[in-house]
Amino acid sequence: MAFLIRTVSHSAEGRAIVRTRRVEGERLTVGRDPACDIHLTDLAVALRHAVIGRESGRLRVEVEPGLSVELNGRKTSSGIIDLATGGDILIASHVLRFMPVPAGSDEVEVAVERTGEGEVKLDKSAERLFTLAPVLPGKRGLAWLLALLVLAVGLAWPIKAYYDRQQKAATFARFHADRIWSSGSLSSAHAGLKDNCTACHVKPFEAVRDTACKTCHTRVHDHADPFRLARARPDLGRWRRIELAFKEKFDIPPGRCVECHTEHEGKQAMPVTAQRFCADCHGDLKKKLPDTPLPNASDFGRSHPEFGPVLIAGWNGGQAQLKRLSLAQAPREDSGLKFPHALHLSRSSGVAQMARRLSGRYGFGQALECKDCHDPAPDGARFQPVDMEQDCAMCHDLAFDQSGGTLRTLRHGEPAQVVADLRDFYRGRGATRPSVLIPAARRRPGDAPDLRNRIQFARGPGSAERAIRSVFSPGGACYDCHQVDAPPAGSLNFRIRPVAFPIRYLHKGWFDHRAHATQTCSSCHLAERSSAASDLLIPNLASCRICHGGEGSSKPVPSSCAMCHDYHMDAGAPSMLIRQKVRGKKRDTIVAEARR
Amino acid sequence: MATRSIPRTDLGASHEGFLRHRRFLWLKVSVVLCLLALVGYALIDAQPRPNGGSPYGYTLGTVGVLLILWLTLLGLRKRAMTRGRWSLKAWTSAHVYLGLSLVVVATLHTGFQFGWNVHTLAYVLMILVILSGLYGIVAYARLPEQLGASRSEMTRPQMIDAVMKLDRQLALAAQPLGHEEARIVQRSIDDDVFRGGLHRRLSGRNPRCPTARALAEARRRLAVATGEQASALENVAALLERKAAALGRIRKHLRIKALLEVWLYLHVPFTFALIAALAAHIFSVFFYW
Repeated sequence: MAFLIRTVSHSAEGRAIVRTRRVEGERLTVGRDPACDIHLTDLAVALRHAVIGRESGRLRVEVEPGLSVELNGRKTSSGIIDLATGGDILIASHVLRFMPVPAGSDEVEVAVERTGEGEVKLDKSAERLFTLAPVLPGKRGLAWLLALLVLAVGLAWPIKAYYDRQQKAATFARFHADRIWSSGSLSSAHAGLKDNCTACHVKPFEAVRDTACKTCHTRVHDHADPFRLARARPDLGRWRRIELAFKEKFDIPPGRCVECHTEHEGKQAMPVTAQRFCADCHGDLKKKLPDTPLPNASDFGRSHPEFGPVLIAGWNGGQAQLKRLSLAQAPREDSGLKFPHALHLSRSSGVAQMARRLSGRYGFGQALECKDCHDPAPDGARFQPVDMEQDCAMCHDLAFDQSGGTLRTLRHGEPAQVVADLRDFYRGRGATRPSVLIPAARRRPGDAPDLRNRIQFARGPGSAERAIRSVFSPGGACYDCHQVDAPPAGSLNFRIRPVAFPIRYLHKGWFDHRAHATQTCSSCHLAERSSAASDLLIPNLASCRICHGGEGSSKPVPSSCAMCHDYHMDAGAPSMLIRQKVRGKKRDTIVAEARR
Repeated sequence: MATRSIPRTDLGASHEGFLRHRRFLWLKVSVVLCLLALVGYALIDAQPRPNGGSPYGYTLGTVGVLLILWLTLLGLRKRAMTRGRWSLKAWTSAHVYLGLSLVVVATLHTGFQFGWNVHTLAYVLMILVILSGLYGIVAYARLPEQLGASRSEMTRPQMIDAVMKLDRQLALAAQPLGHEEARIVQRSIDDDVFRGGLHRRLSGRNPRCPTARALAEARRRLAVATGEQASALENVAALLERKAAALGRIRKHLRIKALLEVWLYLHVPFTFALIAALAAHIFSVFFYW
């Protein structure tokens, strides 16, 4: 009975050195104690770690209490090795390899070898150990990983989203990866398009075209004929030419909507157009477009034409002839009415006296004021046309008879009815003198019933015709305010010339009375000095310039072009005022919802 | 240190660092570039507000991307050391100062418009690269001196060797110890001072250092041990003490070395992520033009 112990160690070159020892007996002790049969110097091995005893045909392995070994790969504190097959015991870093014993042999062969671990650090290059390379993933690997990640998320994914959208794939509805390409929020007007990049970016690699805008914005008109617009443009400076060359190279047409209406700038409204955008062309328009009717304008304070209101320059039969005339020509208006503003606004005339008398009923003050006759339109921007019944009849009623408690009035605006009513009045009463003698004369404020009329009535037969003629003659109710076309001799077919007022004088610019509410009417309109209705009381450029100057002016109200003029529109409040919520409401420039 | 005794005077220009290269030539170039960019930004009235898509924005963006690509080339250039006007030092100097000027150029290119998008991603990555680079400049200016001092006249293999020798002596000295004690010593021997993560490297500390524990344990047991055990433990404790000092030296060295290197692990990968993000940025801008 014996154990043949072969201790295997390796030289520096890796050559195996085997020392063989023979231990007689049935038991084999294993441990760090030098007295053990198999002496293992590993400090993880106990002084006496295990005992291997031979029994018939097998080995019994018994480990010290509390310790363990690995027997054929299984951790255990005791076990059996069949001598016919052999087996391995691993104790700490040493392996005890029991060879299969042929039947009848007396000798058990054990190879003892230290497994390689623990020596590894010697192999590594010392310099490399001191770097961060063993601790961190490689820079190159990290670089590839990060770069590919960024490309996948920032490039591949959005491109996929674009093609999904083209094919209207189901994934389209959930998240649109091309949103991570968006450089900023869309303006509030376009917020609904935030998930629909291709609404504007129709074709890849093609700059947004106006056609994309016009699919929705069907109601915006151009500023002017595109060719005239192109000709009016100022000469390009060097930088502009370079810019244009670039644009040409990259197929970006100049003058696109998006040049002014930039997007992805955040949830803001479009900023006010700077004055120079207008002045670039309009400052010297006459030179570029000699046939233009528009005068040059570059700054409200310094270079702006006199206002050209549209007024009634004459009449073609019953049709008022509107004409745009510069205030510089001191135009006169032919409204068809006779009206002395000065008389009505006087603080000492009979008008003022009557105003005081009627103040209890109509709320007049010590004298008439503009507001007593002129009513603002509901939006406050302009005024309603003067209406005889509403605005004049408070004083100038057309009563000619009293029947019971009711005053009978001549019908305003219907001369034939006036004639008929008067004729009827006299026919019904024969020659009897009317009890109340205030029929035909226009009641001038403060006047007593006209003595002249009494006399006319006293003349007897034919008084109806006389009364009718007097109504339409100087001093008569109609004549004093209206232009009367006299009938041919023998006829009573008097005609009143039509009356008209422009609702809006300044068609090319915006003016808002409400914005000027802090001013008195007479500070702009010289009504107190106007004794004829043909005086045009539109204030001129000079009077506006008292407060308003150009964009960079030091006047109380610096005013860029956009305050009164709009690029795309003529009617309504300019976009600047709408956006600043000063005036007006959002214009409907896009197709109605119903069309979808 | 031997090198310290050499007077600096005759080395003069040849030992001028990359920061002071040619009397701060590249610093001046960068400052001029930044000023030009700022003046252009102030004077050019991009409507409705400055942004990367205006003509000036495209100009700044082009300058920025060319700079970034050129700066990245330092990675190739540094593998070939040359002298003279276009020396590697000149490149490094230009790399540092032009890289810093990107903060101005690229920020103006953004027009201060930021968002959760690929464009801002590129910007953020660029800023991370620049910040890590800034750290690198500071590290390179301050740490190499400490690194030299921390070696106490030893080469790096010598430091490792010292520990390994102590380990061998420990293994012998611990042979008479009981199983428990021997295991504790073995843990110290098995421990690899180079093991552990980035945190351990940067802190220069290992709160669970087996050697420190073994030393504490050995001292504790020494107080109650007698006879042969006591003398063995005494030997072991003395060896552990020497090993702890050697490990401390290595850790300090490792710490400085890590501080000197760690920024490159951000700088380089983020540079490539930045180039990828720039590719996506430029592509997307023209895809959805």
